[in-house]
Amino acid sequence: MKKLIATGVAAAALAAAPAWADFPADNPITFVIPYSPGGGFDTIVRQFAPAMGEAMGATVVPENISGAGGTRGAQSVFRADPDGYTIGIFNIPGFTVNEVLGRDQGFDLSEVSWIANLAIARYAVAVPADSEINSVEELCAGDDPVKFSDTGATSTASVTTRIAMSIIGCDIIDVTGYSGSNDAMIAVISGEVDATIKPISSLARYLDGSGSGDLKLILTLSSDELVEGVATAADIGYPELANFTLARVIGGPPGMPAELVTVLEDGLRAAGESEAVTSWAAGAGVDLEFMGAADTTAMMNELSTFYQQYADIVAVEQ
Amino acid sequence: MGLDALLEAFLAVLNGGSFLYLMTGVILGLTFGVIPGLGGTTALALLIPVTYTLDPLNAMYLAGGVMGATSFGGSISAILLNTPGTAPNAATTFDGYPLARQGKAGLAIGAAATASALGGLIGLFTLLLFIPVAREVVLSFGSSEFFLLTVLGLAAIAVSVKGKLLRGLIAACIGLLIAFTGANQFTGDTRFTGGIDYLWDGIPLVPALTGLFAISQMIELALKGGSVAEDGGRGEAVKMKITGVGSGILSVFQHWTVLLRGSIIGTVIGAVPGLGGTVAAFLSYSSTAQTAKDRDTFGTGNIKGVIAPEAANNAKDGGSLIPTVAFGIPGSAETAIFLAILVLHGMEPGPTILLQHEREVYGLIVALTVSAVTASIIGLLLSRVLVLITRIDVNIVVPVVVLLSLTGVYVLEGRMADVLLAVAMGILGYLMIRFDYPRLTLVIAFVLGETAERSFHQIRLISDGEVFGYMLGRPISVVLIVAIVITFLLPTMRSAMARRAGA
Repeated sequence: MKKLIATGVAAAALAAAPAWADFPADNPITFVIPYSPGGGFDTIVRQFAPAMGEAMGATVVPENISGAGGTRGAQSVFRADPDGYTIGIFNIPGFTVNEVLGRDQGFDLSEVSWIANLAIARYAVAVPADSEINSVEELCAGDDPVKFSDTGATSTASVTTRIAMSIIGCDIIDVTGYSGSNDAMIAVISGEVDATIKPISSLARYLDGSGSGDLKLILTLSSDELVEGVATAADIGYPELANFTLARVIGGPPGMPAELVTVLEDGLRAAGESEAVTSWAAGAGVDLEFMGAADTTAMMNELSTFYQQYADIVAVEQ
Repeated sequence: MGLDALLEAFLAVLNGGSFLYLMTGVILGLTFGVIPGLGGTTALALLIPVTYTLDPLNAMYLAGGVMGATSFGGSISAILLNTPGTAPNAATTFDGYPLARQGKAGLAIGAAATASALGGLIGLFTLLLFIPVAREVVLSFGSSEFFLLTVLGLAAIAVSVKGKLLRGLIAACIGLLIAFTGANQFTGDTRFTGGIDYLWDGIPLVPALTGLFAISQMIELALKGGSVAEDGGRGEAVKMKITGVGSGILSVFQHWTVLLRGSIIGTVIGAVPGLGGTVAAFLSYSSTAQTAKDRDTFGTGNIKGVIAPEAANNAKDGGSLIPTVAFGIPGSAETAIFLAILVLHGMEPGPTILLQHEREVYGLIVALTVSAVTASIIGLLLSRVLVLITRIDVNIVVPVVVLLSLTGVYVLEGRMADVLLAVAMGILGYLMIRFDYPRLTLVIAFVLGETAERSFHQIRLISDGEVFGYMLGRPISVVLIVAIVITFLLPTMRSAMARRAGA
């Protein structure tokens, strides 16, 4: 009987405390991936999930909800209860670009409760390794438009290519429709196109030293030197090009209590520092770059303003 | 490299544990292959999360076992139920099912098993030969070649539908319309989506094919009643005995040119990303049927009509690994999943895949080889039992197949909309059966449409608008143009010659 009363008292105490006080004790946390298994978004979540669960003393279950260009998964996070048990990875700046284009995605990025950013990939301009071109200036010096290769017109790389080259004032044709970023890079090697802009971690497979040596970099879209001997955006006088990145941003449903966000943020931070995740990242060429909730929210707002300036370039006309 | 690694991989697979994974893959592959609507892609997609905890090499054995076994499994249902177990087996129904109805199911299954195993081996052997030059092969196939291959496939449609050209073309146009649904790769605009988010990514292949091939056939069966072996309610059971398996096996060796041609077509089409087994099997079937002396007997139970698609179907696995070993890019939906498994294990497939992940790549090749052979042996051993399916009352067969295939559609992505699509496509497919429109024509156009449009846009941009001139400057493109012209002219020339002979 005494025991029963004790339990009752404990339960009452719990009921009085906010709902998140014991988070995440009872339920597994669903980590939504808005794409099919095996891709970049899927892989990073599946690497973080077990380590995050361990750090938080909970079970984190990755769930692939693919479809509609990733918006279906994002919608399911957006519509979930803000109780911390549903979070998701977002395609940024892909979704940001869609918003700039005025597409109804079924969710509003400015309302998402941003929790953290796990990694950031930066872009570089690549040309064939045996090409005589060694700078963007030389690449754009000809009379004809320079041809670039990309997957889809709404892909982040294509949007990056068109905006970055228009800032530089270089006349280009972006040949889209390649099945994947690998195929787009092979189009440069086979000579179908002149150059391509892709994340450095993807290009690494084709560079001398880290890969097959078919391609070379002539510019990195960054303010600091990332690859030895390769000019940066700041070097050539366009520091704003460093805004183009590919982020791995985690968010939850709108209106998530700050306490919950902090618990999840800490869990993700601990996972990012775990041995399992760091050794995976080193092997897979992923640049881990942890940002907390406040920094991530600020970055999301900046990105939105940044892409808004180039709304007319983002919309394709062909 | 090469041989040592291959030998090592062969020895490694004989290790007890590894062999168990491989055989599990083979059994799973056969099962998923036999059940209409569940194919290799579904089986592999379901296995991805399972492989996460496995050693990467064992994951390869499991995946290779599945990949090598599904297409033969699918031919069993194609022959016995007139329902392709997997989409690439669609062409096998043309002659396989008539053979079964003539009581020669054993002959057809024997031939399918042998052609699958040998086609698979030829495809993998070609792959091994091509590994040193895989890079050059991939680099010489650009947008121009992709486009011309799709035109060749579409041209084959036009000449393949004997006596119902107009119906064939109507079906192909519907197929193209379906293919063009969704986001346009070039402008980012959406087409034919009617405001439905689901259609943004286009009409997904697996649910659509499941509907067109499996569900439609089940509607047809359910309305006919009786059992498959019974002739539409008339009650005369056709005796589907499994006899003549031996002569089926032998027939493949008698028609070795058909086998070889099918295997080569399969390997080449397999190497081109985005075309896949359905197109390979169809092209192999139609080119065999077009050039055979006894072409009038195709469609009524010609054993060559079973050998050709089945050889191509399995040879495509070897071909689809050519772009994979060269650059780490997938040549088929199955190899895409193979690469996804590597990524999941923290490996990064790229142009150096063969240097960095030699063990995994050769492990997969060995698994495919062993799987292609053992699947056929197991299939032959089980064929006597499987043929009983055709005697079961359709009131039992239909609900079971519909349930399994729709479940398969659902679990692939976990979307209820996929199930609705499969049902809608099933009704469309049934109407096509009912009014005698060729379903395969629609499917080939559907599969080719996206690649055709995409690569044409690319050539237009790459060539600065000089599309034809650009193509003529590329040797492989010229060969393909010649092949397209021949495909178109052959039937005309033949009928002209027949007229002259008759006069």
